[in-house]
Amino acid sequence: MKDDKIAARFIRMMMTLSASGVTELLRDWQRGDRAALEKLTPLIHDELRRIAHRYAQRERNGHTLQTTALVNEVYLRLARHEKPGWQDRAHFFAATAQVMRHILIDHARRRHYLKHGGELQQIPLAEASLMSEQRATELVALDEALDELKELDPRKSSVVELRYFGGLSLEETAKVLEVSLMTVRRDWRAAKAWLFRRISNT
Amino acid sequence: MTPERWQKVDEVLQGALDRSPAERAAFLSEACLDDEELQRETSSLIQAFDEAGDFIEEPAIARDALVIISDHDQRLGSEIGPYEIIGRIGGGGMSDIYLARDPRLDRLVALKILPAYFVSDGERLRRFQVEARAASALNHTNIVTIYEVGQAEGIHFIAAEYIDGPTIRERIKAEDLSLGEVLEVAAQMMCGLTAAHTAGIIHRDIKPENIMQRHDGVVKILDFGIAKLLEPSSDISASTIRTQTEVGTLLGTISYMSPEQVRGLNVDPRTDIWSCGVLLYEMLAQLRPFDGQTQADTVVAILQRESPPLFGVEPHPDPLLRQIQAVVSKALRKEPVERYQTAADLRADLEKIRRELERGNLSANQAVINSQINVKELQGLKLRADAPRPRHQIWIAIVSVVLFAAIVTAAFLANHFKSSHNATAASKPYLQMSEPEQMAFVAAQEQRIANMMGDRPARLNDDAIRAIKRHVDRYAARQNSSKLKPGEEDLRTAYARARPQIPVIAQAFAARRIPVVIGVYLPMVESAYQPCYENKIGAKGLFQFLPATAEQYGVTRADMCDVQKMAPAAAHYIADRMAELGDDSQSMTLVLLSYNRGPDDVRESLRRLREIDANYERNFWTLFANRDKLDQSFQNESAGYVPDFFAAAIIGENPDVFDLQMPALSSFATGASGK
Repeated sequence: MKDDKIAARFIRMMMTLSASGVTELLRDWQRGDRAALEKLTPLIHDELRRIAHRYAQRERNGHTLQTTALVNEVYLRLARHEKPGWQDRAHFFAATAQVMRHILIDHARRRHYLKHGGELQQIPLAEASLMSEQRATELVALDEALDELKELDPRKSSVVELRYFGGLSLEETAKVLEVSLMTVRRDWRAAKAWLFRRISNT
Repeated sequence: MTPERWQKVDEVLQGALDRSPAERAAFLSEACLDDEELQRETSSLIQAFDEAGDFIEEPAIARDALVIISDHDQRLGSEIGPYEIIGRIGGGGMSDIYLARDPRLDRLVALKILPAYFVSDGERLRRFQVEARAASALNHTNIVTIYEVGQAEGIHFIAAEYIDGPTIRERIKAEDLSLGEVLEVAAQMMCGLTAAHTAGIIHRDIKPENIMQRHDGVVKILDFGIAKLLEPSSDISASTIRTQTEVGTLLGTISYMSPEQVRGLNVDPRTDIWSCGVLLYEMLAQLRPFDGQTQADTVVAILQRESPPLFGVEPHPDPLLRQIQAVVSKALRKEPVERYQTAADLRADLEKIRRELERGNLSANQAVINSQINVKELQGLKLRADAPRPRHQIWIAIVSVVLFAAIVTAAFLANHFKSSHNATAASKPYLQMSEPEQMAFVAAQEQRIANMMGDRPARLNDDAIRAIKRHVDRYAARQNSSKLKPGEEDLRTAYARARPQIPVIAQAFAARRIPVVIGVYLPMVESAYQPCYENKIGAKGLFQFLPATAEQYGVTRADMCDVQKMAPAAAHYIADRMAELGDDSQSMTLVLLSYNRGPDDVRESLRRLREIDANYERNFWTLFANRDKLDQSFQNESAGYVPDFFAAAIIGENPDVFDLQMPALSSFATGASGK
C-alpha cells in the first residue's frame, strides 16, 4: 500500500470516529461490525503510543514493561465516561491485540519493502532503524502463519494473538475467550509448536 | 489439512505432551495405530515444540515498543482540511504538531492536532475551543498568531503561525545566553504579556517550552490561555511528572506555577508575572528557583521558601547584579499584591537595567559585566555565602542567630503551652461528653490531625465528621474488656504496644519527607500494632503488605514482621503513591486513601467527580460527600479507611480523653526531623 493510501485510510478512520462511546463501539465490534474496530483503531493507537512512550522510558530505567498494565491503562482512559463491565474490557483486550498486530505488521511490511527496494523509498531512515530487517521478516512470517492457523483452528490463533500481540497472561486470555485455563494452556503449546514448525519450514 | 483432521492431530499431540518425553514414543505408536501420517505429523510437532524454546513467549510490545511509539508518520503527505502536511515538528507528549502548508496563502503553518482522548471529551473540547478562539483574537508581534481553530473530517486542529527557531528551553540548555539576550527576551515577553493582559487573557503556563525565539531574534509566546487546557487531566500530568523526574530532567510544569496557582485559587495576570520571574531566574542561574526532589517538595518551596540569591549573596556588592536580583525578587513575591502589578512595570525595570548595562554605568566590574557576558560567567561572579566578611557583619550574624534561636524557643514554648492548655480544656472524658460536644471535639481534632499531615484545611460537612465519629465511638467502646467482641482487644493494650516502634517508624517516614503522623497511625489502623499480624489474604506485619508488594520494596517474606525493614519500605511505598497522585498528593488524606485503594482508583474517583463539578476540592472529603456516585469499592471499604485513620489518630493524640495512661503517640517520634 502506498503511503498516501495509508494516510487516506487513517483519515477515513478519524472521520468515522463519531461521538459514540468506546464501549458501544466494542459491543458493535463483538456483534460482528467490522467498521467498529476501524473506528476504534486510531483511538487505541493514539493512546497506546502515548503510554508506550512512558513505559519504554521506564524500561530504559531498568523497569520491566508490563503490557497488561499498559493495555489496562489505555482502556481506562478510553472508556472513562462509561461504566464498562468485564465483558467490555475483554473485548477491549481483544481489540487492542488486533490493533497492535496491525501496527506491527504494517510496519514490518513497510520495513520489508524498504529493504527490497520497493516503492516506499520515502520511509525515513530513522523509522527503518526501529525494527531490524530480520525482525520484520520474522513478524511477517508469523502474521501469515497465524492466518493459516486461523483457518485450521480459530481459537488457537486467537490465543496467540491475545498473548503475543495483546500481552495477556494465560489467565487473562482464558477470561477473554471464556474458556478454562487448562484449555488455554493446551491451545498455547499446540499453537506454539505448529507456528514454530510452520515458520522454520519457510 | 482439514480442521477435522487437525482436531485429531491436536488431540494426540496434547496426549503426548501430557506425558514425559520418555513415554511419548510408546504413546504415539499406540494412539496412532496404523495411521502413519498422524504419527509423522504429531512427532514433527513434538519436535518443533521441544525446539521452540522461548519462541513468541515474550510479548511483541516488549521488543517493539519503539515502533508503537514512533509509528505516526501516516499523516505525512496527507491533507487535513486545507492544509498539506509537510513534516513533523514535535509533539509526542500532549499533541502532535506538524509543519503544514496553507496553499491558499502559500504560507507555512504549525498544525497542532488534538489528541484523541481530548476530542472524545466533549466538554473539554468545547472549553478549549472557546479559549482558543479568544486567544486567536490576539494580534501582537510577541505572541504566536492562531490562524484557525478548526475541524476537518473528524480531526480537530489548531493552525498557528510557524516559528522557525529554538524554544527558550533549548536556549537555556545550550548555555549560550548572554546577559543582554536574557534581558531582551524578558523584555519582549513583557510586551506580549502586556497586550494579552490588556485583552483580558492570562497565559497560565509561561515556561521555557512555551517561549520561542525566531532566528531574527523576535520572541514569541505560544499557546496563550490554552496550554493548561491542553494538558491531559491531572491524572496524566502526574505520571508525566513522575516519568520526567525519573530520568532526571524537568519537573513538569509545576516549577513555574505561582503560589496562588499551586493552591488552586483564582489567578489573575499576576500569575504570569510570577512565572516570568521563575523563567528570568532560570535563564540567569540555569537552575530553577523552586525545585524539589518530589513534586511535594517543589510545592512547599513555592509556597514557603525564598528563592536562593541569584548571585550567591544578597545584597551583592555589585550594584548592577543587585538591581537584577531586586527585579527577580519583586516578580517572585509570594503575595500577588507585592509583585509587579503589570507586565509593563516589570518591563520598565528591565529596560532600565539594560540601558545602564549598555552605558557601562553602575557595575563595579564594568570590564567584566557587559551585555555580551555569558550568563554562565555571570554565575562565576557568584559570591559564596561563607566568604570572609567585614567584622561588623559577623557580629550582626551572631546576633541574628541568637535572636532567631530566642524567637524559636519562645514560639516553641508558646505553642507547647497552648497545646497543653488545649489538652486540659478537652480533657473531659469523651464518653462523658454530650453528642454535640463529641461532634465538636471530633471536628476540632480532625482539623488538628489534618494539619499535622500537612493537608490544606478543608471544612468538613457534618456527614464527614459523623463518619469519623462513628469510628471513634467504635474504638472508644473497646475500653472495657467485658464489652470486647472476640478478636478485639482493649485499646490500652493496642496503643501501649505502639510506643517502642514509633521512633524507628518516625525516622523512616521523616527520611522520605512524609508526615510522621501517617507512619505513626497507619499501623494502628492496619494491624493494631500487633507486630506479626497476618490477615486472611496473606497481608502481613505492621503495615499489612502483601508478600509481593514487600518484595517489590526490597523486603523478603521472612522480614515482613521486622519493623526496621518494613518501616522504610512503607514510607517508600507511600512516597511512590504520592508521586503517582501528583497534584493530588497535596491532600495527604488522598495519599492515605491510595495506600488502601491504589492511586488509579483514587484518580478515577477524582475524574468522575470532575464531571460532576469542575471546581471540586481535591480531597477525600469531597469524594466522601459524593460517594453515591463513586464505585462500589469506594463505598464498601475505602469510605471507611480514612475516617478510621482519623479516629485512630484522634484517640492516640488525646490519650487522656480516652482514658489511656500514656502521652500522645506522636510525642514518641523523637529524632525524626520531619514535619
